[in-house]
Amino acid sequence: MPPPTIAFDAMGGEFAPTEIVRGAARLSLETDLDIILVGDAPRLAALLGGMRHNAERIALHHAPQWIRPEENAAEALDAKPDGSLLQAARLVASGQADALVTAGPTRALLLACDRTMRLLPGTEKAALAAVFPTELRRGEKDDPFSLVLDVGASLEASGADLVRFALMGASYARVISKNPVPRVALLSGGAELEWEHPAILAAHAHLERLAGIEYLGRIEGHLIPRGTADVVVTSGTVGAVVMRMLEGMAQTVLDLARYAYHERLSWRLGFTMVAGALQQLKRLTDWEEYGGAPLLGFDRVVIRADPRSGARAIANAGKVAAKAVAHQVPGAIADRLHLHAFGEGFERGRAAEG
Amino acid sequence: MEVRHVYRWDLDKTYLRTDFDTLRGLLRAAREKASAKVNVAGSRALVRALQERPGARVAIISGSPRQMRRKLEEKFRLDGVEIDELVLKPNVENIVRGRFRAIRDQVGYKLPALLEGRSRVPSTASETLFGDDAEADAFVYSLYADIVEHRISAAQLSPILELCGVYDDDAERALRFASNLPKGPPIERIFIHLDGYSPPARFEAYGRRVVPIYNYFQAAILLLLDGHIGPGAIVRLAVELTQGYGYSLVSLANSFQDLVRRGLARAEDLGAIRLAFEAHAALIEKLRPASEVVQAFVDRLKMVSGMKPARVRDEAPIDYLAILGREGPPNTWRRRRRPKPRRRDLPF
Repeated sequence: MPPPTIAFDAMGGEFAPTEIVRGAARLSLETDLDIILVGDAPRLAALLGGMRHNAERIALHHAPQWIRPEENAAEALDAKPDGSLLQAARLVASGQADALVTAGPTRALLLACDRTMRLLPGTEKAALAAVFPTELRRGEKDDPFSLVLDVGASLEASGADLVRFALMGASYARVISKNPVPRVALLSGGAELEWEHPAILAAHAHLERLAGIEYLGRIEGHLIPRGTADVVVTSGTVGAVVMRMLEGMAQTVLDLARYAYHERLSWRLGFTMVAGALQQLKRLTDWEEYGGAPLLGFDRVVIRADPRSGARAIANAGKVAAKAVAHQVPGAIADRLHLHAFGEGFERGRAAEG
Repeated sequence: MEVRHVYRWDLDKTYLRTDFDTLRGLLRAAREKASAKVNVAGSRALVRALQERPGARVAIISGSPRQMRRKLEEKFRLDGVEIDELVLKPNVENIVRGRFRAIRDQVGYKLPALLEGRSRVPSTASETLFGDDAEADAFVYSLYADIVEHRISAAQLSPILELCGVYDDDAERALRFASNLPKGPPIERIFIHLDGYSPPARFEAYGRRVVPIYNYFQAAILLLLDGHIGPGAIVRLAVELTQGYGYSLVSLANSFQDLVRRGLARAEDLGAIRLAFEAHAALIEKLRPASEVVQAFVDRLKMVSGMKPARVRDEAPIDYLAILGREGPPNTWRRRRRPKPRRRDLPF
């Protein structure tokens, strides 16, 4: 089977295009992926010319326009039909590429995918999923990551949306982490039901009687790093806040350690002795290591890298995309949603008969 | 037949895939049988195509020791390649004479050897050179080309050789050959095989004559356009790369797009490739139907339609002293180009 083709929106992200091109150049030397860099081709060509890369694995696709983060996404997409993000999405939708990777604005990405790709049958909203390192290992690959979704694709989510997010997340964990029965939980504000968001309550009631997934119930935020659940489901706004906070905390711990390292000689000696463990912690909590978050719900593989992404994060996002293509993630999710819809229809039919 | 065109090749990392970056690699290269030596993808097919041209001469100048001559000659026989000249480095002699600097030195060895080789062919013979990015091939070949074209005088050459750290006797030989050499036609192209994926921009200082290439399919396209090889040769090379070296249709199409982006080929040149594929449809069908092959190239070209190719560089004289001032003597380039481990101020 030929290696997957990954289309990179080379103009999206705070450090675009330089870091995107560097990431793609790195990927061209480390893997056999076929890479398409979509963006201002003369600029991309000049950047590539100054970097180590394998030109056999990189093609440029000229897109003379691109969307800036400060622009209104919908208006910008209308005004720039040849924008790099839209062009990259078109390449994926038309089958010329197998996956899209961008560090561009989330809203613009969602709209671009919405205009070019199809939502999977049974889905009404896409969900952005992110991985977070935990104490526990899971699946046959001893994966240390929990999947949290949605982390910013939509502001609000209904109970039915959250159920679908749970199904999509479980399918992703099943194929990517090789975790046959992922444990799914809803992120909750607390144990008291009267304080719970109605959407959470509705989803909770639905998931409790849903066959085919191991539903743990509602869990609080502090259980995410513990790894209690393999898939944590929440609405986009809450998910985005939680993920940023968790990443920030990990960074703060390392920053404090660095500060202390410079403070006293005895502390420095102590830190030197545990440097290996700290390095492992850094590696585990380093968001650049995970590359990007999959946007689940569309019929194509879409990976959204952090806007701050450097070359390493972009290269890793490309690898995540390739893995999702190789495991046919959209197909696996579609199958699960189809099964769910069939089950729902069956239940409704039985209830009507009864 | 009178020699009309000389194709001069480096050996390691240009014709053969040799690992001389490590001691283990060096020892393996010295011990392995001729049949175990592996070609750089497409090098064999390209040399065979080039030597079909009437009046062609293929010369190889290598930094491999003279003791390897028999094995290398055997390798060329196995490849079905006829070599007109094989120059190897007197490494043992250098060690015995205590000339340790000469073991790594490229300029002091290759430049006089190239000039001596040039003195053996008619002054009207044109040349195409093939090297790689591992050492200083672009520098030595450009210097050689400028001497052949009388762009550099012996007086200008002397300080360059001094800065390169060339031994006096080697410098004297080079200067003697340079002074006696009749002016020749321009060296057409210097192909640099980017074995270490050096950034192509690194070679801009050497002007348009130096052409960094990622594979010999790229060289073959340019040689086809220049009239050095026929359409059958490029098709055979494409088939060999895909069937023997894991190349895909996409990687070949990307290679062509790369040439167009760098301004080395034009979009219209696809016409010549199309004709070649269509004329040898039976051969290319081992890969895919000719129409599909051409379509893959067209698709990649469409992606950059509307893009202006890279600006054509002015043919300013090469400032060798400036290059040496910037990068130091060539015998240190290989060491410095290895990525340095990043220094950490903290252990975590």
